[in-house]
Amino acid sequence: MSITNLLNNWSFYRKKRPYQGQYDLNRQYSEYKWAMALDLDICTGCNACTTACYAENNLPVVGKERFKHGHVMHWIRIERYWDEKMGEFPEQGASFLPMMCQQCEEAPCETVCPVGATSHTNDGLNSQNYHRCVGSRYCSVNCPYKVRYFNFWNYPSTAWPAPLPDQLNPDVTVRTKGIMEKCTFCVQRLNEAKSRARTEYRLVRDGEVVPACVQACPTSAITFGNIVDPKSKVAMMWKNQQVDLYKDMQEKDNSVRGYRILEDLRPFPSVMYLERVRDMEA
Amino acid sequence: MPNVHPEDFVVPGLSVFYASTCTQCGSACGVMGRVREGRVLKMEGNPESKISGGKICGLGQAAVQVQYNPDRLTQPMMKVGSSLQPVSWDKAMAMLEEKTGPKSGINGDEFAFVTGAMSGHLKVLAQNYLDSLGSKNHFVYEALSPAVGFAANKQVYGVDMPRLRFDKAKLVVSFGSDFLGTGASPVHFAAEYAKFRKAPRGTLIQIEPKMTMTGANADRWIPIIPGTEGVFALGVANQLLKHGDFSKTVSVDIVNLVGKYDPDTVSGITGVSSDLIGHLAGLLWEKSPSLVISGASVEGHVHGVQNASAIQILNRILGNVGKTVDGQAQSPFPQLAPATGSFASLKAMNDGMGAGTYKAVFIYGANPVFTTPSFMGFRDNLRKVPFKVAFVNAIDETAEECDLVLPIYTAVEDFGSHIAWYQPEGVEITMQQPLMEKLYSDTRSMGDIMLDLVKQRRADEYKNWPDFRSYLKTAVVNIKPAVKYTDTDEHFWYDTLSRGVIHVDAPQQQIAESFSTEMLDLPTTINSPDPKFPFYLIPSERHYFRDGRHANCGWLQESPDPLTTVVWDSWAEIHPKTAESMGIKEGDYLEISSQNGTLKVKAYLFPGIHPDAISIPLGQGHESLGRFAKGVGVNPFRILNPVFEKDTGELAMYGTRVSVKKTAESEIVVKDEGPVSTQMGRKLVVTLPADVAQLSKEI
Amino acid sequence: MIHRLLAALCFAFLFGAAAGAEPFVQGGPIGSQTPDGYNALGPVVKQPIEFPHYRHARDMGINCMYCHTGARRGYVSVIPRIDKCIGCHQNIESVRNKPRIKKLFEYWDKKEPIPWKKVNDLPDYVRFNHERHIQRFYFRQNRPVREVCGYCHGDVANMTVDRRVKALSMGWCISCHQKDHKESDTNLKTSHGPGECWQCHK
Repeated sequence: MSITNLLNNWSFYRKKRPYQGQYDLNRQYSEYKWAMALDLDICTGCNACTTACYAENNLPVVGKERFKHGHVMHWIRIERYWDEKMGEFPEQGASFLPMMCQQCEEAPCETVCPVGATSHTNDGLNSQNYHRCVGSRYCSVNCPYKVRYFNFWNYPSTAWPAPLPDQLNPDVTVRTKGIMEKCTFCVQRLNEAKSRARTEYRLVRDGEVVPACVQACPTSAITFGNIVDPKSKVAMMWKNQQVDLYKDMQEKDNSVRGYRILEDLRPFPSVMYLERVRDMEA
Repeated sequence: MPNVHPEDFVVPGLSVFYASTCTQCGSACGVMGRVREGRVLKMEGNPESKISGGKICGLGQAAVQVQYNPDRLTQPMMKVGSSLQPVSWDKAMAMLEEKTGPKSGINGDEFAFVTGAMSGHLKVLAQNYLDSLGSKNHFVYEALSPAVGFAANKQVYGVDMPRLRFDKAKLVVSFGSDFLGTGASPVHFAAEYAKFRKAPRGTLIQIEPKMTMTGANADRWIPIIPGTEGVFALGVANQLLKHGDFSKTVSVDIVNLVGKYDPDTVSGITGVSSDLIGHLAGLLWEKSPSLVISGASVEGHVHGVQNASAIQILNRILGNVGKTVDGQAQSPFPQLAPATGSFASLKAMNDGMGAGTYKAVFIYGANPVFTTPSFMGFRDNLRKVPFKVAFVNAIDETAEECDLVLPIYTAVEDFGSHIAWYQPEGVEITMQQPLMEKLYSDTRSMGDIMLDLVKQRRADEYKNWPDFRSYLKTAVVNIKPAVKYTDTDEHFWYDTLSRGVIHVDAPQQQIAESFSTEMLDLPTTINSPDPKFPFYLIPSERHYFRDGRHANCGWLQESPDPLTTVVWDSWAEIHPKTAESMGIKEGDYLEISSQNGTLKVKAYLFPGIHPDAISIPLGQGHESLGRFAKGVGVNPFRILNPVFEKDTGELAMYGTRVSVKKTAESEIVVKDEGPVSTQMGRKLVVTLPADVAQLSKEI
Repeated sequence: MIHRLLAALCFAFLFGAAAGAEPFVQGGPIGSQTPDGYNALGPVVKQPIEFPHYRHARDMGINCMYCHTGARRGYVSVIPRIDKCIGCHQNIESVRNKPRIKKLFEYWDKKEPIPWKKVNDLPDYVRFNHERHIQRFYFRQNRPVREVCGYCHGDVANMTVDRRVKALSMGWCISCHQKDHKESDTNLKTSHGPGECWQCHK
């Protein structure tokens, strides 16, 4: 986008909220578009995924005081909800919702970054570039899922007393103060798998690479894969659940469980959730 | 930095995975350690392991934080005056020799070895050491032991632990069993649970006084007065027998037993509506095969064994035995079998210490000063023992009391072999191997120390083994014929290490054909509360904390409790209705007192708890152990009353009554959950009725 | 204000283009660019042993990857371990008493790693993948190894101790990634390197 273009279309950019067709919704991914399917019926809320994320992505342990102020850095968190119609007791248990960056196709965070630190990759991820980030936090404000986390403190100097730094994953940068960060779908793993595949003149096979959360999940509630490949499990699940990456307010059969969270805001997220099921007769 | 010698398989920048075994809890999951440039970075599941199935829980991942813990003990410590001072290994071992060696003149009865649950070849070695001393005093102690459940299973099935087939059941009725979070094998059961929830989707009903993680995943969660679960089960049995099918197949004993448990009586005792009893019986009748299980909140009472047995009888009545309740494989290696531990064992030891029986006590894998109730006076009794040795990774409450504290390898630095007490298929021996070189030069392998100790008296017998690794190798190679391995010993050893598991096919244990109902004598009168202590105390087990031994891991402290989302703290769960009547708001400090002490802890208003119960999670309240654990929260073990299970002598964990007093102090509860606990009408988690969903059409 | 900024920017571009002809300019710290953006001679690094690359790579014609074994397999090219040096040199009696070889054997006898200093260093937030470049240009396109390594490392085969000769800056990386490279000598299709942040930044 040139400056002339920007100036000519200034009123357009100022006034229009994102609408369908503004972006290139027929954006063709030639090789990879990473996506997830998360079955809320078998997610038990056990937090194995969140701990795996701490281990894989060098997330700092912030401590009680900072946690109290909402400075926790868990890229994936488990939200717990009680039923609104609950009587005296939660008779149908709790609702657990693992929430991580949804890698939106029309990501609200990308459009507001003043320095282009967050942008769309050719694999359909929202990349976050720590060294370019200036810490304006606009992206976090604009994120409807609230999955972006800001380093209010200089964690590298406090969160890992020696010899804990020996555990840090060398493939992931340790972020310093003033940097925004978020779930990357474990891009370091994806890059490694892609590079291995390229060396062998092929594409990454289905199931060859998964993020740390998917790998840990004891109930295998999360499926991850390349949605461009129609034979991948995740692509088949999306199709089976009648969820299309580029549609909003989707109509589907009553018995089908797939949905995306806050789809009506039109961020076109890459994570499909499967509805929690409860036996109402029990 | 370039190395001098080649390290096999090490390419800088590339990760190598080595198989090992997780020792964070007793499930013995096979795991893989991701190793880069000689350091272990991350734990992942080993797909070869039938227990873990290639998956791992958060507690297992924290093994690396135990390894790199900033509060690890890095050198031997000896008590000088009232404090522990660093000392060399030579001096430490010389002291061991002086106090317990052949020349010390110590008699086998004067020596006690307290360990946590143990299995495999280290257990054999420990046993051999005790034998060489002529001692029978191996006290296996786990604060949260399965002993009561084992006793109940023994009565009903004739085996300690049957194999549970969640995947085959259409309906699972769980009485207080948090099989997804704690207990026998959470990672394995989580995988089984996932199969159970796939088409045709099974239904889970959970009956317990305080909602566990498993309860939170139930289709129907039913609160019940603590300790009356057995009565409820017999009430359900009573209704079941009204269905013609069952009255024919069930023995007269059972018919007589359940006769008096009509719905109204049962409802009066348990606080569950009588309609629900009939409803549950109807569901059990309709959905066969079903599976009925019982757990910690059932077992932790004076009549714990009977309570659990009464529940297990339902499986008998419903004909689930042989379908969803099966025999585990009979291990062909009885000497390697796990010693699961019990409270009764420690109580005997504590009495011995009080009487001045012991001259020397070794403690490994247990922290009894922290996990015993204050009424036992364990700390004072321990101080009476002239020579106490602790083998630890970090100084805990028990080690602080010891005369000699020896730093041992963590699980990721050591060799070992393990057999879990819950075996899903066949017998799986999981192998533990070092994932990296030792981090501190002044730490030693527990196996090496044990070998040195055995050699004090049996040098000739053990002279062929310079270290534990060579001992383990010889022992493991002996298993070769059992798995019909035909290659050389050397191949077998390396093959075993690289796969991380040895699978042995073994015949199933036989479930007894019949059982006696004579022992069942559950209270039929309404549980009358003590006016001074009106609340039932539920010391709940958190899935990543258990008895608190790994509380010094930042990841675990910051991992929100699944149900309350509280972090870095202890809290008291109280039902909103009760809280309202007492004027309690979230964050108010409560004084919770039993006959044995008082804890001051913040209130958390929690709908998933019986209004007459109050729950405090275990695992926090450390006075030692390290920077992440010390001074965080309170320790409910301390205030438990001397109430014991009458058949096994175990501590009745759920048998304590408390009073609750609101104080004027209040503080924010640090938690992950937002200001509201519902979805506020947004479609975040959507719930679909099971009869609408068509899971069979899904991929 | 804006105009002044724009003017400054234009000037920078012009100046950059004009100064492109000069071959090697003493570079600043790693990542800093010379006016031409690409050729920036790094500082002289004093190594514990003055390793003669020219003797090995040029005179003996040894493939770079004989010692830098990681280059074709992973992100790191690998500085060889001492046993690699000794593996050959214990059989080369003729140079056994040269001072540098004596020093090498001193380290070996002490079982001490040689404290080599890093010459081509990238910032910690960049992950350069040697494997992909070697696989693409050396194995697939069959270009000579000295040329392929030389894209980034210069003519190491004519150096004694290695010295950085390129800027190793992002603009320099991108300039090459934007070029179209022939797939192979038989396949004339061209492709260029990936151009998104997460490819190299971690």
